[in-house]
Amino acid sequence: MAKHLDLGSAGESLACRELSRLGYRVTDTNVRMKMGELDIVAEEGGEMVVVEVRTRTLGRMLPPEATVGPSKIKKLIRTGTAYMASRGWEGPWRIDIAAITVSPDDKLVLEIFRDITVGLIEP
Amino acid sequence: MNAVLGVTLQGIQALRVEVEVEITGGLFVISIVGLPDASVREARERVRAALRSLGVSVRGRVAVNLAPADSPKEGALLDLPIAIGIAHAMGEIRVKRPSIFMGELALDGRVRRVRGAVPAALLARTHGLPFFVPGGNAAEVSLVKGVEAYRVDHIRDLFAHLKGDGALEPIVPGTCAEEPHEPDPDFSDIKGQAAAKRALEIAAAGHHNILMTGSPGSGKTLLARALKDILPPLSDEELMEALLVRSTVGLPMDGTRRRPFRSIHHTASTIAICGGGTNLRPGEISLAHRGVLFLDEFTEFRRDLLESLRQPLEDGFISVSRASGSVTYPARVLLVTACNPCPCGYWGDPVEPCRCSPGAIERYRRKLSGPILDRIDLYVTVPRLTPEELVQAGGEEGEGSSRVRERVVKARERQWERWSSMGFQCNAELPEKTLRKQVRLDTEGKRFLREMATRIRLSGRGVSRVLKVARTIADLAGDEDLSTMHLAEALAFREGGNLPWTS
Repeated sequence: MAKHLDLGSAGESLACRELSRLGYRVTDTNVRMKMGELDIVAEEGGEMVVVEVRTRTLGRMLPPEATVGPSKIKKLIRTGTAYMASRGWEGPWRIDIAAITVSPDDKLVLEIFRDITVGLIEP
Repeated sequence: MNAVLGVTLQGIQALRVEVEVEITGGLFVISIVGLPDASVREARERVRAALRSLGVSVRGRVAVNLAPADSPKEGALLDLPIAIGIAHAMGEIRVKRPSIFMGELALDGRVRRVRGAVPAALLARTHGLPFFVPGGNAAEVSLVKGVEAYRVDHIRDLFAHLKGDGALEPIVPGTCAEEPHEPDPDFSDIKGQAAAKRALEIAAAGHHNILMTGSPGSGKTLLARALKDILPPLSDEELMEALLVRSTVGLPMDGTRRRPFRSIHHTASTIAICGGGTNLRPGEISLAHRGVLFLDEFTEFRRDLLESLRQPLEDGFISVSRASGSVTYPARVLLVTACNPCPCGYWGDPVEPCRCSPGAIERYRRKLSGPILDRIDLYVTVPRLTPEELVQAGGEEGEGSSRVRERVVKARERQWERWSSMGFQCNAELPEKTLRKQVRLDTEGKRFLREMATRIRLSGRGVSRVLKVARTIADLAGDEDLSTMHLAEALAFREGGNLPWTS
């Protein structure tokens, strides 16, 4: 596997471990829907959570969380809505970002951004 | 009926708004429908943050409907009812009794003061509903009698109140005391100007509009400012009317019965004075309701602005019609105006010569139309004081504002006794018909008036104005009947001294 894909999947498994530790119950990973893919789907506090994992090496232009732009958010909303509908989930759900930075000594640092669509005027 | 109610303003009236909330699953979003303006739509951010400060986290799709759906809602005063509506729909609290809520939310849950608390309180009183109002508005609401109002400083307290844990304090009905205050400037501080002071006294007593002309620096503005301290205090009813307008605009309460005094600069726009704008608001003429509207440099005002004052001066209210709706604001004002007699300002001055050409004076006087001058009862010339008068320190001071005010109050009481059964308050309001019937002259008075009317070419309206002013002068003196003396004084103010355009 190419190096960047290795890094990505390493990040995703780290995110899964860390999320479980934080009280998320991971129900699905790498869900492929027609319009896109969801990295992790979990359940937390009576709410479903779609987690988008982003892994980046420190020192690149943008931090990992900033690489989720408006079009990606739109895509996540569409894919998430379709996923919730396919699983028959009618309660509230949200989108989190798990941002993983690779430090110069190859350590992975995870940061979670909860509920990223909440302040958007037009989500 | 839905239990959570808010209000929105329509003119100086509050309109009841029902806040309906539905929450379904899905990605979090708050959508507000029911013609909200930008500040209502932005409520969702404030509401979410304020609720979160209480540990209530809003989830799912939240639909807020503001009924009636077809009238536009404006202002941040709907923040609180929306927050309560959402918490009610989430099951956090139960609003058992229908209640009116108003207030703007801070992000940390504090409740900020809003405009329109008094109209809303009146609405709550009419419907007999409890009313929850921001602490900042408590003072004005306390003056509305017979309303069950509670002061809310933080949304936390309101939640506790609705859950039944900690009762909010009801607002105790207050009274507006008539505080004695130092007149500024006092009549006794103004040197000379006996005629002008007398004219102001008559204007205050009978609610007669007045025009003062004089050279620059003769003290017109000072005299006008002194007028506000000889006016009688606002009655309960008048206080309520003035309060209603102030509250609609969002001006704080000054907590006195002093009459409003609005001094307008001549660059003011028609909307600023008459009311209007995208979100309809009362203008200066409504803020001066039951008080004084002072237009300094009267001739410098735009012509169309002065013309737009004609209707409210006659009717005592102003109707503002716009595409977004039509509203009526009260506008019963005492119009006090001041101007120079000519462009250079020295026409008729005893010392300085006037440098204006006849054409310039003609143009200057044309700025004031007949119809607007026709609504002015008293013309008075304010001459410049001679150097001797100015330098003379101490000496005879003249009487103070408080004594003049006592006479004015008595004269108003007399007018009230006489006219209240007919629905008028003061002499200036009398319509022609009533005036001719009620104000009788003896034979000598009639002869005198006829003679004078011919000599100074008085119009029909001019005669009735003289009669009204004479009636006020008689009321000030405490006389029941008009005598030649009263008529003569009234005529002196009609002639307008040496005004170039009224002769």
